[in-house]
Amino acid sequence: MELYKLDLYEASKGIKDRKFSAQELFESCRERIDSCEGKINAFITRTDNAEPITENPYGIFAGVPTVLKDNLCTNGIRTTAASRILGNWKPPYDATAWKYLREAGAVLMGKVNMDEFAMGNTCGNSAFGPTHNPNDISRIPGGSSGGSAAAVSAGYVPFSLGSDTGGSIRQPASYCGVYGMKPTYGMVSRYGLISYGSSLDQIGPFARTIRDIQLVMSVLAQYDPMDSSCFREKNPDFTHHEDASIKGKRIALVKEFQNFTLDAPIAEAMKKTQKVLEENGAIITEVSLPVVSKYAVACYYALAMSEAHTNLERYDGVRYGYTVNDAAGIKEMFERVRSYGFGSEVKSRIIAGTCLTEPSRCDEYYVAATKVRTLIAQEFIRAFGECDFILQPVTPSLPHKIGEEDEDAMKGYETDLYTLPVNLAGLPGLSFFTGYDDSTKLPVGLQLIGPRWSDSEILNAGMILERHLGSPKIADGGVK
Amino acid sequence: MSELTFTPVIGIEIHIRLKTDTKIFCACSTDTDAPANTNICPVCMGLPGSLPRLNHNVVEKGMLAGMALHCTVQPRSLFFRKSYFYPDLPKGHQISQCDLPVVADGYIEVHDAEGKLKKIRVNHLHLEEDAAAMHHSASDGRLEGASTSYVDYNRAGMPLGEIVSEPDISSSAEAVEYAMNLQRRVRYAGASDADLDKGMMRFDANVSLKCSDGRWGRKVEVKNMNSFRALERAIEFEIKRQKKILQSGGEVLQETRHWNDAKGVTSASRVKEFYRKFIVEPDLPPLIVNQEWIDRVTAMMPEMPDVRANRYVHDMGLTQEAADILTDDKATADYFEACVKAGANPVRAANWVRTEVLRVLNETQKKISEFRVKPEVLAEIVRRVDDRKLSTTQAKEVFDYMCANDCVLDDVVKKLGITEGGVAGNALAEIISNVIKANPDVLAEIQSGKDTKGKKFKFLQGLVMKESKGQAKPQEVVEALTAALKK
Amino acid sequence: MKLSREEVNDIALESRLLLTEKELDGAVKYINNFLDILDSFKELDLTNVEPFSFAEALECPLREDKVKAFTNTQGIFNESEHVDGSYFKVPRIMED
Repeated sequence: MELYKLDLYEASKGIKDRKFSAQELFESCRERIDSCEGKINAFITRTDNAEPITENPYGIFAGVPTVLKDNLCTNGIRTTAASRILGNWKPPYDATAWKYLREAGAVLMGKVNMDEFAMGNTCGNSAFGPTHNPNDISRIPGGSSGGSAAAVSAGYVPFSLGSDTGGSIRQPASYCGVYGMKPTYGMVSRYGLISYGSSLDQIGPFARTIRDIQLVMSVLAQYDPMDSSCFREKNPDFTHHEDASIKGKRIALVKEFQNFTLDAPIAEAMKKTQKVLEENGAIITEVSLPVVSKYAVACYYALAMSEAHTNLERYDGVRYGYTVNDAAGIKEMFERVRSYGFGSEVKSRIIAGTCLTEPSRCDEYYVAATKVRTLIAQEFIRAFGECDFILQPVTPSLPHKIGEEDEDAMKGYETDLYTLPVNLAGLPGLSFFTGYDDSTKLPVGLQLIGPRWSDSEILNAGMILERHLGSPKIADGGVK
Repeated sequence: MSELTFTPVIGIEIHIRLKTDTKIFCACSTDTDAPANTNICPVCMGLPGSLPRLNHNVVEKGMLAGMALHCTVQPRSLFFRKSYFYPDLPKGHQISQCDLPVVADGYIEVHDAEGKLKKIRVNHLHLEEDAAAMHHSASDGRLEGASTSYVDYNRAGMPLGEIVSEPDISSSAEAVEYAMNLQRRVRYAGASDADLDKGMMRFDANVSLKCSDGRWGRKVEVKNMNSFRALERAIEFEIKRQKKILQSGGEVLQETRHWNDAKGVTSASRVKEFYRKFIVEPDLPPLIVNQEWIDRVTAMMPEMPDVRANRYVHDMGLTQEAADILTDDKATADYFEACVKAGANPVRAANWVRTEVLRVLNETQKKISEFRVKPEVLAEIVRRVDDRKLSTTQAKEVFDYMCANDCVLDDVVKKLGITEGGVAGNALAEIISNVIKANPDVLAEIQSGKDTKGKKFKFLQGLVMKESKGQAKPQEVVEALTAALKK
Repeated sequence: MKLSREEVNDIALESRLLLTEKELDGAVKYINNFLDILDSFKELDLTNVEPFSFAEALECPLREDKVKAFTNTQGIFNESEHVDGSYFKVPRIMED
């Protein structure tokens, strides 16, 4: 048995039951990485050259390897956000999410690729080159957390962390054929997560089973005073209940989304999933989200960019990261550092964000967007008065080939329509595996979303779906 | 053509450092004496991934300062990001309540040109973080030709309250009185030490002129004043400069100007400032202050100096001048009131405090909290003078000795040769002289040599003893009386 | 086009970004395209809508005013190429 193929639950149990050692698991994963990484390019920084160190051999993760998206700060370990501007920055502190994992015994194999500052949905917009989809290395893994999704899909590690600002966990999870959870905003501490759109960002897990997602969530979802937007209304229970049921649950489709075209494999997956839900006693209904369907994309980008440009003002080369030493003045220094350090996509978003918050345009765009967001949040609250969950696609199509990016950038954004409203309303969303497309053999994922703080209920429904639709297999990673 | 007249229209923005142990958004110390760049952490250094955490005490001190300026606490306020690129700003933006402040709508009274009281409205006080300190000189102390600036992030994230006035001020004198009054009041409230030398209080002024022909000059923001004198001079300079422009038919530009204290001039800011609308700080939910908290802080508010001075005038019979001097500093006023509480006559205690106590403190450069003569002791000295147990001269002697030495009152009296609880020296001489004056016939008898048996002498001696309430020593009385009769 | 090349370039400079011709072309297209999309907000009546700030009626948590020194300041210093003694140095700022 190749140990790298074990899921988190099995691996952790195996170590605790002394069926194998953490060292053996670690080495099996490292071999797997060595054999695939040349094709996949998931890593920015590998930390698997030393002996595995677990802080807690009795913790939930007890020596199980993991990887982190490279926008999560790791004490003394290079953290880049896939940008040149951070250079070889080694944070002097740990992100809370990583600290919780570490304390539960997880072992870090490295930091993985992403779109620069999480801006993008291909994982190709990185200073460290594109990551390839382990299911078909000619295709994108999705993004921005593409490295985290690819690492789990390829069997590098049983679970990983990413971040989701407008779909950055759910979309690559779907493209790579793994489970990915975007928790309720406020559920997981953002302390140590390099901000993109602070009011939208949330950290979440990738794994190959729902049970593993539940395990990781049980560790991540702890209150942290370091993040003022992290709070608890009630403590969520992520215990795995085999007998959980969706009987009588009202699961809605969004009326307005029916007008948008879906690629055949995704439309089929929708039908198949509805059938499974109905067979398990759920009631399929419909809700209407007119404002969401029409205005969410514009609203999202207006807010994400307005927040992003202020989050990126700190990169000036004085205290960390890429810098120049021969500038004649401070303005020149800042300009040279930022012009070289940021990639084109990031620059465009900074300029757009600056533009939207200029005094002459602020009310028309930024303030208007914050009001549209209120309408969107209210619309979801209303919708969840009529249903328990919403079932919808993650994307309208399967992952495209690397290098075939749409020339029209804004059209690329519209493919985010299914994911980003969830961030605007601060809702939880699960990207789940439904099976493989017959012709392309690519995995097909869908999304289940619920009201705020319904994370564990969504996972219970996800467990039933997993039981009937099957769990994803480890992708070949370009290696036969 | 009649001569044009100009009315200055001035608004002031004052930053005060709120008195807390830690910075506004992180647990770093606010110690101003710490070596450079020792009180720093990921948050105040703006490291990627760090997030702000609001200090409870900053809010409370902001409320206290606001209440001291007659402001109302706002139940809901919000933080914003105010962007500008400068190396003193680690995040490239300042977190500030600028648009939705924690307290608003107050006033401070000043005297106008005719000496009448006038209200200067305070628009609001908002909470914000300070920027890092910049030293524009070489590390070896060279100033001229230095090619680098040095940044000390200890100051980054220090808690500030920015107090914005309405443009109700009409002269530099009013501006200075406003600022001094504000300083006194926030110190009273315990909200800020407002120590100008330590940069804990800084001024910006918006100055414009209204011309009698109906023209309005544009608003000019003058920055970088760090003392009352600088505030006064900068405003005066700016009024003159703008007047000159308007008189010659020119136009005053809306701009930001910097006050150069060494040269005594304002000059146009060389860096273009971008006025950007602020975005909501997404990392800090709204600040909610409930009524219970407001009540608690209200209860903490001490009596303000003007109210206190009024009470001294009306209830204690002090002059306005004395009352103002005593209430200038809260500790002095507290000392004075402790004296009165310990039984001293208010008017005389006031005289003692404003002349003797303040003189000694000034000479020794000490704070009243470190002062050796405790208010109860001063009260006792005042009382003994009233009871004629000490003459005024003796009392001052005793007081001066006690200021310089650790000792108790009765020991000092003994040590200085002042008879224990007695009447001697000048006091005794005074009594004797009064007794003699009141009995000219007895004096005449003695001086004529008729008092052979000394009965008349004994009579006078008895009167002196009686006047001294038995506190004079018989031997001394005999000697002093004999001497006095020989004159 | 809502924003000219010059205007976009000015905004870039305000953000301390020097763009290549190609980047500027891209940014001009990107922003104008984006502003057109945002015009759709005008279809909505937002007069009585409150701006969204947080997903719930959330209150800012308050931290106790208690000093807790950060222990890894050396880790901060190590990351800057501009440390000079105990200071961070930057090119002289000509502003008074």
